[in-house]
Amino acid sequence: MAMQTEDHTAAAGPMPAAPGHETAAVGAHEGATPAGEHAEGGLPQFDFSWWPGQIAWFLIIFFVVLAFMRLFAVPKVGGTIDAREGKIAGDIADARRMKDEADAQAQVAAAEAAQARAAAQRVGAEARAKAQAEIAARLAEEEAKLAATGAEAEARIAKAREAAMSNVAGIAADTAAAIVQKLTGKSATAAELAAAKG
Amino acid sequence: MAEQPAIEPMHQFLIHKIWDGPVFQLGGLTVDMSITNSVASMIAGAVILVLFFAMTAKGQIVPNRAQALAEGLYNIVDRVLVTPIIGPAGKPYIPYLFTLFMVILVLNLMGVVLAIGNLGGLSLTFTVTSQLAVTATLAVLTFFSVFFLGFIKHGPKFLGLFAPGGMPLPLLIFMVPIEMISYFVRPVTLAMRLFGNMLGGHVVISLFGSFVVALGLVALSGGLASLAIVPSVLSFGMIVGLTGLELVVAILQAFVFTALATVYLNEVVNFGHGH
Repeated sequence: MAMQTEDHTAAAGPMPAAPGHETAAVGAHEGATPAGEHAEGGLPQFDFSWWPGQIAWFLIIFFVVLAFMRLFAVPKVGGTIDAREGKIAGDIADARRMKDEADAQAQVAAAEAAQARAAAQRVGAEARAKAQAEIAARLAEEEAKLAATGAEAEARIAKAREAAMSNVAGIAADTAAAIVQKLTGKSATAAELAAAKG
Repeated sequence: MAEQPAIEPMHQFLIHKIWDGPVFQLGGLTVDMSITNSVASMIAGAVILVLFFAMTAKGQIVPNRAQALAEGLYNIVDRVLVTPIIGPAGKPYIPYLFTLFMVILVLNLMGVVLAIGNLGGLSLTFTVTSQLAVTATLAVLTFFSVFFLGFIKHGPKFLGLFAPGGMPLPLLIFMVPIEMISYFVRPVTLAMRLFGNMLGGHVVISLFGSFVVALGLVALSGGLASLAIVPSVLSFGMIVGLTGLELVVAILQAFVFTALATVYLNEVVNFGHGH
């Protein structure tokens, strides 16, 4: 179809004022035959006299738009999309890195806490052991002291009892002497008293 | 009944001059650079495109709606077509393919959206992509750019495209002409597909539009003829439905043209390791 362009436009010669009336069409398009006055030529698209101007204008406009897209729209829009994806990827990487950092810090903190707990337990155990040792020592000391006091007191009681027992003999002799004197009117001698006691 | 309007569904494709421009001869061709309704629509489409991208390409990380629309359109070419079909090597060709897509899309949509004004015989707009001259220009430009790019990149080896590998010689004698025909018919199919799609729907809408008016006028004559209002209203419903369909076709054909151009380009860019 396009091969016929030259023949038709050459035949058309100078531009007609009303191209609708021109019968430049190919004649292969009787399928849709409108009833209007413009209908002689079939499809208006096959009026080749308009082709060169339309093609020339279209090429000019297309390349102007292409230059605009190439120099402005595509770098700008595509660049924005790339920048956004770069930013999202960067932000995700940042977030991941921060999460890793936080995890590492949490691990360090957990380790430190465990260490501190162990230290605290050790200190507590030490303190408890020390306190128990002290208590045991004091207890032993007090017990020893008590034992000593008890022994001393027992010794004193024994001495006192001895003394008291020896006194009892004297008191008995005195009592016997006093009774003898009262009864007999004469005092008994010490030897007699000792003998009587026997 | 005498004033019943003629049904002229082809009227919308007529070209007429708006301003006279220079006319010059180019090797026997008469090139009339007058501003016609077709050229005016092309210029309007280009202005719409430039204004749209000048206003929406703001480069914000968090886009507003208009910027998101511009980026969505860009991603149709980049993420839906070029990157999956060609791969990273297709990046340098995005400006051309994106221009192709946007120009066809805007001219198609202008033809549908503003075409309502054409129903009453007004010429508010013009479907540039329903002109075979324009679709053929796009197809030939795209096809031969790709074809010559193949020679620039691969030299005479590129002719191996017509001889499929591992083919015995007797078969090759038949295969090479078939491959060549199927290859060189591509610009014709590209041009005809877009042209036919943009032509057909518009003709049918225009026909239904003339039914609305013609049957409505019949109904106005009163009596039993008033029943003609029913098909008139139904025709109007058809226009509404078909306009929606045409919107889909307008977007789809822009996509199809660009997708095929991308596929053809892929054969050149990934020549030798795609087959």
